Amino acid sequence: MEDLVADVTRGNVTEVKVVLASVVAALAVYQVVLMAVGYGKLRPPFLGAGEASFAHRALGDAIVAVTVVVAVMCLTYFELGDGTVHAVAGALLLAVVALKIVVLRWWRAMDRFLPLLGISVLVLFALTWASSAGDFLVGGAE
Amino acid sequence: MSAAGQRTLQVVGSLVVAAAIVAVVIAVVMGQLGTTSVAELDAVDERREQRIEREEERLEQREEAREERRGG
Repeated sequence: MEDLVADVTRGNVTEVKVVLASVVAALAVYQVVLMAVGYGKLRPPFLGAGEASFAHRALGDAIVAVTVVVAVMCLTYFELGDGTVHAVAGALLLAVVALKIVVLRWWRAMDRFLPLLGISVLVLFALTWASSAGDFLVGGAE
Repeated sequence: MSAAGQRTLQVVGSLVVAAAIVAVVIAVVMGQLGTTSVAELDAVDERREQRIEREEERLEQREEAREERRGG
């Protein structure tokens, strides 16, 4: 698996991971804006609540797929002990995302917790990104 | 435009904004990371080695000239 990751990224595993993590972190912020429109907290004249919610779900599926790819790259190519904060935040992020999907698809009784889960996902995305990709971009590759 | 058409347009617009965010983030991060092209990195390495070699040659010439002056 490690070789596959290295081959697919042509040896630039860290760089590809930084780009993908930055993309999903930025999209996570956009997701919150879309859901603020979906819940009627923001009412722009050019976007309806239903349409914003639909876009949020479509984009969410793509974000989950990319996040899983980044997580697989992380787990197969890097040592777990390289960053404790990053490892804990990443594991919590995957757990909360999984819980959010379960609530959305099968556990509708817990609907009222979706905004809380959504905000938690954003915070964990930010923390996971800052403790790895952000650190790399600010501190350089040494 | 019909209501359904407007709804579709709004959804597509939201996704286009997402695509624009992706493009901007990739451009900014790639700009920050610098080149990852193997050819370009090799060229940078080669230029660095040539510079070091030139500096070493210059130092050697200076040393030789100093020794000649001492000997003469």
